[in-house]
Amino acid sequence: MFDITILWETRELILQGLWNTVWICFLGCLLALSLGLVLAALRLANPRIFSYPVACYVELCRGIPLLILLFLLYYGGPSIGLTLSASVAGVVGIGLYGAGYFAEIYRGGFKSVPKGHLEAARMLGISPWHVLTRIQIPQMARLIVPPSTNQLIILVKESALISIISVDDLTKNATSIVNQTFQVIEPYLAVALLYWLIIELIARGGYALEKRLANRQPRPIEPRGGTRHAHG
Amino acid sequence: MFEILLNHYPALAEGLTTTLVVSLSAIALGLVLGVLMAFGLMSRHRLLAWPCGLYRSFWRGTPILLQLLLVYYLLPEVGIEIAPIYAAILTLTLNTAAFQSEIFRSGISHIPVGQIEAARMAGISTWQIRKRIIMPQVFRLTLPPLTNEIITILKNSSLISVIAVTELMRVSEQIASRTFQPLETYLAAALLYLAVNLVLARVSAYLERRMVGGLATE
Amino acid sequence: MPMVDSTTSTRQKAIVEAQGVSKQFGDLEVLTDIDFRLSPSEVVCVIGPSGSGKSTLLRCLAFLEPYDHGSVYIDSQLLGYEDSGGKRVRTSEKRVDEVRAPVGMVFQHFHLWPHRTALENVTEALRLVNGLSRREADEEGMAMLEQVGLADRAGHFPESLSGGQKQRVAIARALAMKPRVMFFDEPTSALDPELVGEVLEVMNKLAADGMTMVVVTHEMGFAAKVADRVIFMDQGRVVESGAPDKLFRHPQSERLQQFLNTWRERHID
Repeated sequence: MFDITILWETRELILQGLWNTVWICFLGCLLALSLGLVLAALRLANPRIFSYPVACYVELCRGIPLLILLFLLYYGGPSIGLTLSASVAGVVGIGLYGAGYFAEIYRGGFKSVPKGHLEAARMLGISPWHVLTRIQIPQMARLIVPPSTNQLIILVKESALISIISVDDLTKNATSIVNQTFQVIEPYLAVALLYWLIIELIARGGYALEKRLANRQPRPIEPRGGTRHAHG
Repeated sequence: MFEILLNHYPALAEGLTTTLVVSLSAIALGLVLGVLMAFGLMSRHRLLAWPCGLYRSFWRGTPILLQLLLVYYLLPEVGIEIAPIYAAILTLTLNTAAFQSEIFRSGISHIPVGQIEAARMAGISTWQIRKRIIMPQVFRLTLPPLTNEIITILKNSSLISVIAVTELMRVSEQIASRTFQPLETYLAAALLYLAVNLVLARVSAYLERRMVGGLATE
Repeated sequence: MPMVDSTTSTRQKAIVEAQGVSKQFGDLEVLTDIDFRLSPSEVVCVIGPSGSGKSTLLRCLAFLEPYDHGSVYIDSQLLGYEDSGGKRVRTSEKRVDEVRAPVGMVFQHFHLWPHRTALENVTEALRLVNGLSRREADEEGMAMLEQVGLADRAGHFPESLSGGQKQRVAIARALAMKPRVMFFDEPTSALDPELVGEVLEVMNKLAADGMTMVVVTHEMGFAAKVADRVIFMDQGRVVESGAPDKLFRHPQSERLQQFLNTWRERHID
């Protein structure tokens, strides 16, 4: 019943979809990680000015579907002179959307480093900059790896939505194969497996990174409050 | 943007209603399935725990759009003809059940074993313990992640527009193509999603505050 | 407000001096008009019920909490504020570091950095602040750990140390910067009773070696034995102060009598 020859015959479409999903996700996630860092840093550096705008941005990301954001960029963009190709709209959409979540993750990491650790450093005359780079960041780094991994996985799964704005990603090409061959299970399951592979790779990578950071400290500090819930 | 809201108020309201009906039914159905599966996941019987684990892995590990397409195209293949809206509810339910099972599993595991031992020593049956001691506490413990899940499902319900369910997203697409004002239309839709989700978050925060301390057992 | 460099003969002798220090948290006044002088080699214990403001006083003396009114001098230098056109403004963090450089501090909850070994906790500031090379810092750090009897734990991370050991590492960390005054903020309050002794022993030795110390504590035995002077605080004010002998045997105020009675009831069973 499961006809694997279909997959072999359509391998080019599948590989093309895989490549598009991978590079768009990669750039989108990179944008999300860095923009999130900028937002969190602004908020940390000058809470009085940036707390409120950044909090609003985070609420927007949490409250609006990614699909709407993609449609705004791809279909709405041209009316304000912003014409993006579908793939670029995908990268920008994933980046803007993920940035809100990452800003929160970074902030949570900063907040969970006990204040006393910083006071102890300040009392020894260690400068605020060194307190940040030597005490705060190393400690928060390992706290934010698990929720960040989680968020990257969510973004990869949500990236399937770019097929709706006509990017030839895994999901779109799988649907094309379904329409060509009238076989449903094979293409969709094959593509599901590929998504799962990407996700597994990210999870493994996150786990390895966490362990590497943990080598500097045998057991993790329990993060305050659970990680945000994963979905996609 | 506000012009769109005013001019197309009835269509948007209808779309929003469909969005809410689909999402909330999926959440409610998924809750029942999720609770049952949480006990399945924690079961000592391998034959029960293992399939539950596999189910959870699949539905949590693949894109929900892919799941929707699979369900939508597969149902007719196996001779089941249902309207797209039911296929949508079915997919969202199966998806959220997996996520909710994990939320409840984690919530249950946070209840001190001593409480359950105390109940067992008092001769209370397993199902009574689950119903009267575990679950009332779990709902309080899991309210924040559960709220997140509801919001996620509400947001994800936007993609059922691809199988032609006329919910909020689909209605916006129709308005956008008629008015040639995609930016304003989608901004209006974004505003509606945002409003619903903000209200949800507020209600949840209120409930959480209310539940701290005195918690009704029934 | 007194001028920074109006150095009188009395002030020259004080390492730490507070004049009329007040501190509010919101509407709550936690310190009211505190005067305090600490001479070289003096050991002062601050006692009082919880919430009396004794920890806040120590934190104000270290400028971990900025005080609202009054002045704190370390080596006759005003800490945390400066005069700018007749108005009092906060100094830079760098200036705060300069002024409080002679002060070392030990916290109730140790606050060792969990991502650094015992030795690295001690050497971090030596390298970052004093600019020592890794080898010099390690040598110096080992000497400090030896002083608190923990040379054999140098490579351990904080979480594999007992509470008493953690606090001793924290003391070594502070001593490494060669402070002339040590502040102890309830150094034994977070410890299991059987671990209190080892920490007090280290502090005893320090005092005997002539270290100037301010110790906020609940350990009356330590205060009676080691302190040159005991200060009793309640509700943000200094109620009574004097030699331990005088204070513990002949408390003048009713509040101190009450405090000591409660303590005796709890400890003589």
